[in-house]
Amino acid sequence: MAVETQKMEDFRLEEEPYYLPVGDEVELFTAAYEAHLPVMLKGPTGCGKTRFVEHMSWRLGRTLVTVGCHEDLTASDLVGKYTLRGDETVWQDGPLTTAVKAGGIAYLDEIVEARKDTTVVIHPLTDDRRILPLEKKGEVVQAPLDFQLVISYNPGYQSVLKDLKHSTKQRFVALEFDYPAADLEEEIVKQESGVDGDVAERLVKVAEKVRNLRTHGLEEGVSTRLLVYAGQLIHGGVEPSAACEATICRPITDDLEMQRSILELVNTQF
Amino acid sequence: MSTQGGGAAGNVGMYVGRDMLAAVPEDRRDDYLRLVQEISDLKYQLGVEVARQLPRLFQEQDDEAIEHYLDQVRAIAGVGWKSGVEVARQLPDLYHAPDPGIAEAYVEIVTEATVGPPDDDKTQAFAAELEDLERELREIEPKQQRATELKSLLAARDRRDERRRKHAQELAAALPPILARLRPKHRDCYMLEVRLVAAADPEAALEAANTMLDLLNGERVSHDGAAEWVRRGLDVLEKNKEVGRGYFRMGSKYSLEVLEELREGLALRQVARVLKLYATALSGRDVAVRGIDEMDSVDRFGPDHIILPADMRFFEDDDRNFVAYKVAAAHGAARIEFGTYRFTLDEIPDTVDDLTTKYGPGAA
Repeated sequence: MAVETQKMEDFRLEEEPYYLPVGDEVELFTAAYEAHLPVMLKGPTGCGKTRFVEHMSWRLGRTLVTVGCHEDLTASDLVGKYTLRGDETVWQDGPLTTAVKAGGIAYLDEIVEARKDTTVVIHPLTDDRRILPLEKKGEVVQAPLDFQLVISYNPGYQSVLKDLKHSTKQRFVALEFDYPAADLEEEIVKQESGVDGDVAERLVKVAEKVRNLRTHGLEEGVSTRLLVYAGQLIHGGVEPSAACEATICRPITDDLEMQRSILELVNTQF
Repeated sequence: MSTQGGGAAGNVGMYVGRDMLAAVPEDRRDDYLRLVQEISDLKYQLGVEVARQLPRLFQEQDDEAIEHYLDQVRAIAGVGWKSGVEVARQLPDLYHAPDPGIAEAYVEIVTEATVGPPDDDKTQAFAAELEDLERELREIEPKQQRATELKSLLAARDRRDERRRKHAQELAAALPPILARLRPKHRDCYMLEVRLVAAADPEAALEAANTMLDLLNGERVSHDGAAEWVRRGLDVLEKNKEVGRGYFRMGSKYSLEVLEELREGLALRQVARVLKLYATALSGRDVAVRGIDEMDSVDRFGPDHIILPADMRFFEDDDRNFVAYKVAAAHGAARIEFGTYRFTLDEIPDTVDDLTTKYGPGAA
């Protein structure tokens, strides 16, 4: 168990992750934690969901186990499985089990991407039972009171093939995220990238305009994360136009005309 | 020797039967076939009959009689081949009549009966006159043919003139409303070019009048370009009227190619989507970009579109022309975003109140 304890300590955040609240999400999350309620963070890519969970983990003094979900992620990957170690078969806890046992925050990022059997596993953790059945091991882990399950969910990715069932959605307290207001986003970009206020303001203006194209061929607008990347490149000496082309135009679309339009918006600002 | 005839016998084998040839002494068969061939050349039916009769004359080995027989056949055939065939069939039997002169008398009777009485003077005069007339008719036949050709050509010209007058009338009716839509700065160029086409073909001018209006008003071509486009169209028209009319209707590939070649500056269609996205991003509204050539079909100051020139040719290089487009698109986007043309005089009191509230008493 010493090994596991060491591992969990690795998940503890020592420094405060920068996070600028945009509303009452900190208070809501804190209240949900104190009420032992699971939380669902909804919002587009790069709007600060993960950073928010990290910040809350630090603020609440809990370890944070983050699992980036993907289409091959199974319930066994989350819960654990038997593996061969030398001549013997040993049980290896999955990240969810580890977080439950340690009483930390388990953050399942983009849960909708995971296989459907994962929802069967998380359901008992999200109601008043707060248990995690380890079927293969014939064991049930009771979650301590300080454990909290957090999932993130991007409504922009939902489709007929990928969406959370209502039976899952309605087990969570939902916090809605979006790109921050311009003044807050400028502050975030300035803080995270090191650029001055003028550059941050221009970057945010570009983002505002590009986000207007979300229903005209862009699946998602420019995330705050990409603005921070752009700011970091500019802060590092890259020409703003080139920095924005690399961090804004190219990542968000493969449509060459769309890229050119965005670049023209960049050139209008810089 | 084949009864089917050889090289010397020509096609007499077709009517010289095996039994006929066999009846001719072997050393005279070539002569037999040659003589039959000679008679056949006069008339096929004569040859058939002579081929039947000659073997028995050859058997009698009287060459003089054979020669006489053939002379008589040729003579009678000269005045009537049908009589000749009958005489050729009957004569060999008459040669053996007790009276040797009966065959000669028979031939004379048949000959005279076939020839008939000699023409009288009147008949000969008719024949001579007819011959003269026929010669004269033959002589004037080329003139008659030429006259027919000329009538046809003149009729075609008349039909063309009729069509021309009809299309000139249509052009006269169509031009004024077209001219009313023409921008004044294009007037001289337009009139000059349409006049050139009208002089060549009013029907093509009808097409050119409409097309030129769109080209010039839509700024799709400069005045020099328009002149060149017309000049090349006239070349096409001279070679083929229908193809030329298609050219001026902008209905031919060549016409479009020439226009593309003459185009100057940056075409809107090359950058329309980029500008649309740019204007949409700027204004936050779904903005459509329309060419100036569509101006007649859409509201110029509509709240959902920007009218831009079909070509931008302020500058030599397309990058700067694109910037010019961008400026125009940004201006249009701002108009849409801030509702420039939504403003009405009725709104002034509310606007003053709003501005006073927003910026203080002195703002309005």
